[in-house]
Amino acid sequence: MIAYFVLAPLAVLLILNIPRGRLGRNAPFPTAVALAALEAAAAILLPAELASAPSVLLRPIGFSFAADRLSLLLVLTIGIVSLASLGVGYGTTAKGEDLRRFANLVILAIAGMNGIVLATDLFTLYVFLEVVAVVSYILIVSKRDRDSLEGAFKYLVLSVVASLMMLSSIALFLLTAGDVSFQAVADSIAASGSLWQNLVACGLFAGGLCIKSGLVPFHGWLPDAYTAAPPGVSVLLAGIVTKSTGVYSLMRLSSSVFGYAFNIGPALTLIGLVTIVFGAFGAMGQKDIKRMLAYSSLCQVGYIFLGLGTGTALGFAAAASHLFNHAMFKTQLFVNASAIERQTGSRHLDELGALARDMPITGWTSVVAFLSAAAIPPLAGFWSKLLSIIALWQAGNVPVAVAAIFTGLLTMVYFLLFQRKIFFGKSVARERPVKEAPFCMVAPAVALAAITLGVGLLFPLTFDTIILPIAAIP
Amino acid sequence: MTAGALLLPIALPAIAGVACFLVPDRARRAKEVVAILAAAATVVVAVLLRGGEVRLSYPWAPEWGIDFSFRAYGLSSFIVLAASLFALAVALYSWSFMEGKGRLRQYYAYLLLTLAQVNGAALADNLAVMLIFWESLLLTLYGMIAMGARGSGEGAPGTARRGAAQTAVKAFAIAGVTDLCMTLGIVILWKEAGTLDMSGLRASGEGLGGLAFVLLMIGAISKAGSMPFHSWIPDAAQDAPLAFMAYVPAALEKLLGIYFLSRIVLDFYAVEPGSWLSLLLMIVGAATILLAVLMALVQKEYKKLLSYHAISQVGYMILGIGTCVPAGMVGGIFHMINHAIYKSGLFLTAGAVERQAGTTSLEKLGGLARKMPVTFACFLVTAASISGVPPFNGFFSKELVYDGALERGWIFYAAAWLGSVLTAASFLKLGHAAYFGKSPHGAAAVREAPAPMLVPMIAIAGFCVLFGLGNALPIDGIIAPIVASAGYIHEGVAGLAGAGGAASFAGEFSGWPRNPFLVGMTLAALALAALNHAYGARRSGSGLGAADHIHYAPGLRSVYAAAEKGVLDPYNIGMRLMLWFAAACRAVDRAIDWFYDKAVVEAVRLTSAGFCRLHSGSHARYILWSLAGILALMAWMATA
Repeated sequence: MIAYFVLAPLAVLLILNIPRGRLGRNAPFPTAVALAALEAAAAILLPAELASAPSVLLRPIGFSFAADRLSLLLVLTIGIVSLASLGVGYGTTAKGEDLRRFANLVILAIAGMNGIVLATDLFTLYVFLEVVAVVSYILIVSKRDRDSLEGAFKYLVLSVVASLMMLSSIALFLLTAGDVSFQAVADSIAASGSLWQNLVACGLFAGGLCIKSGLVPFHGWLPDAYTAAPPGVSVLLAGIVTKSTGVYSLMRLSSSVFGYAFNIGPALTLIGLVTIVFGAFGAMGQKDIKRMLAYSSLCQVGYIFLGLGTGTALGFAAAASHLFNHAMFKTQLFVNASAIERQTGSRHLDELGALARDMPITGWTSVVAFLSAAAIPPLAGFWSKLLSIIALWQAGNVPVAVAAIFTGLLTMVYFLLFQRKIFFGKSVARERPVKEAPFCMVAPAVALAAITLGVGLLFPLTFDTIILPIAAIP
Repeated sequence: MTAGALLLPIALPAIAGVACFLVPDRARRAKEVVAILAAAATVVVAVLLRGGEVRLSYPWAPEWGIDFSFRAYGLSSFIVLAASLFALAVALYSWSFMEGKGRLRQYYAYLLLTLAQVNGAALADNLAVMLIFWESLLLTLYGMIAMGARGSGEGAPGTARRGAAQTAVKAFAIAGVTDLCMTLGIVILWKEAGTLDMSGLRASGEGLGGLAFVLLMIGAISKAGSMPFHSWIPDAAQDAPLAFMAYVPAALEKLLGIYFLSRIVLDFYAVEPGSWLSLLLMIVGAATILLAVLMALVQKEYKKLLSYHAISQVGYMILGIGTCVPAGMVGGIFHMINHAIYKSGLFLTAGAVERQAGTTSLEKLGGLARKMPVTFACFLVTAASISGVPPFNGFFSKELVYDGALERGWIFYAAAWLGSVLTAASFLKLGHAAYFGKSPHGAAAVREAPAPMLVPMIAIAGFCVLFGLGNALPIDGIIAPIVASAGYIHEGVAGLAGAGGAASFAGEFSGWPRNPFLVGMTLAALALAALNHAYGARRSGSGLGAADHIHYAPGLRSVYAAAEKGVLDPYNIGMRLMLWFAAACRAVDRAIDWFYDKAVVEAVRLTSAGFCRLHSGSHARYILWSLAGILALMAWMATA
């Protein structure tokens, strides 16, 4: 039954697009919203049922799926972020053909991401990574201007490199293990020790996923793609696509499949630290809100890998927790950025100022998100960063823990710079008065801010019910 | 006397002082009567205390060795008596002097409180208790100067005129710093000697004890007004009420400072003549004599000239005590008494001149001898006394100091002798300029000062004669026993071999000086001063310019100019250092600010810009980065 998470969106997509009638014209957007809502609801309401129902499609080639707590957390995130993305898309896309195409592509992206987070073998994972990648190119380029073409092209090129590596890796694993299911590969690596084929295969797959995650120095595509994409798409890309294709996959593989073999843990910590520093300094130099958010995204992903790299249960849980929190506040910041762009016609720092007066909801929800990103208690981002740092400390990696605390200051600096300038700084002369964004964009912002606040305030609860079970996975 | 009476010299003036403060200014005479009666009562108590040794002690903080203890014995009860007499004299004098001047409440309150504090400090037998009284003098000192009755307020040429408030701050700062030194010295002494009990305290001049000695000495000699802690006194002479000058820097502070110095030298350290402590004191004393008298010589303002002598004469006391030989010590302490007498007398004559003639600037004075004959007579006696003219008291104490100094080294004697020449010269000049010569215009109406001002002056002049001719009275009665009880006068002193008991040294130091050479030299000094004055007066054509040939002598001229600009004033130097320090602090602060505001921001900005520049937008570059990353990752993994 878990396979329906993939099959249902695909079926809906076919139904919506085969008959060329009124249904095909008007239904895609509501359907996409319903699908995303259903997905989030299912993850919350039926965790036990979903976790106990693995399924395999299309034997003997086999697409195998199963859900555990981490997968369900991702499924929930996919639902929430897709909803936000659809809201922003509705507010910023021309009604009619554009919106229809956008909705259809989001449905396909949901199917693809579900496939990724539920896959239990490398081949399935690879196939759905490709699905999501292709959908992403089309989404990015849907604005059909020079910038988005460039952004999409870079994503395409680097994704192809990543695909190549992962495909080679799968071939190698097939040679050494005879099978590509996670379990078989994990057993093979555990049994054969430091076989060079395994080393190369692990390295290639990890490298490919590093590209997908946008970790430094594999991140070249990311700022351009995030910035060039239309508003709804950048929300989806930053909020969940990169997280599921790259971060989630790398988490899953390095812990459950590679079993932190070949010293990959410290490598991830190091990459994470470099990414944090690089992302923070990169963000500081930006004048474009979305570009700044893209670099800050790098920075936050770096924190996820700091926790993951420790190889401990707590580090793993911290990574998962920060993945979720990051998805929430970064999605929200992109929603806010899209609202600003829509209402003022600009994303440039110098052309914005004192918006909190005219756009109070956008302004104040973004304060919540930025405080969470800057790890201010009691917001959600604080707890997950704290867990990461505790995990590092416990793992004996004190210098990195200290460095993580100090780089947190850098995060603070660039968020403060932006926040103060855009929402509370001097007002900028405009041709027409600025109004608050429409409901379809304000609602996601408020909902996401509420989640960030709620998760933070109810941290003891979320820690016991969500984070601890995840810590038991690897 | 019962032991409780020990507290009376402190309590009486203190209570009366507070009462004066509470009585409104309108009831002026009431305050004056209270002040005079309180001072007189204190004198009576002090006389009664002279009977013998009295002790009083209440436990206060016994675990730290601090007791609320007092002791009246020869020296301390004499200090109390002298201080009370000066208070009485000044209170009488103020009856007329303070007429028409404001802030009388404060004036009389400070006058009496100062007496209480000095008495308390002199009687205290525990260093902690003494320190409390000693430090509290800061408050009344500040208040007295800050009251700001500016007198005639004419500054010497080239001197920056300061407000009374500034001078008060200066006095407070100098006294505060030196008091701090003394506090530190007391703490070290406490650690070294293990007790704060003044009668039982013994310390050695080795190591930390030596440091403590220097610190205590700084406290004591700065209270007495020695160089280099003197610089507030000439300023105060112009800004503070004249009666205050006669009372505090000229009399009470000298008494207290030298009293404490003699306690340190005689009792606490029992300094041996050959030790470095003795040498240090003699150097400070000799330097103070010469430098201050050189400054005094060129002053053209009555009060200022006197104030420099108030500094210079301290040098004789320090030199005398510092010799650590019996004659010198007796002379030093005797000089303290004499100086308090004649210097306050001189200040009182200055006050009389100021009140009657309206100014104390020597340029505007002249011919007062005929108009104010009594004042002139008092001036004559006190000036002769300070110049060391026989048979006045100053002559005898100076002879004793010379005796001691010569015993320790001719150079110290030479300095003291030269000081005498210049002292005599400057008083010749002062007397000549103020009391002889032509009367300036509009001075015809100047008349003799009123009786309440004359009586104290006459009494003081009388004491100058009494302590001169009857010098056995203070020397054999008070001073020699003190020095003897400290163990400095013992068998072997000339002419005393074999004789025991208190009477054994009677007449040893009193009476006409033993050494005819010294007397001859002193007379020579006076003659030299007279010759110098005659030369200077003829050269410049007036008494006022009698010292100009020294003032503008090649070499000295620029030194004087610098000194009058305050370049050599340790207070100014200290203040300048403070300003430099403040500027340095500010520079450090700016640097820290710059580091945070500019350096860090700029470094972050440059780093950020560098990172941004790396993103050229070329996908080929990004692919290369990725491939390099993968190779590095696999290389890392291969090391496992």
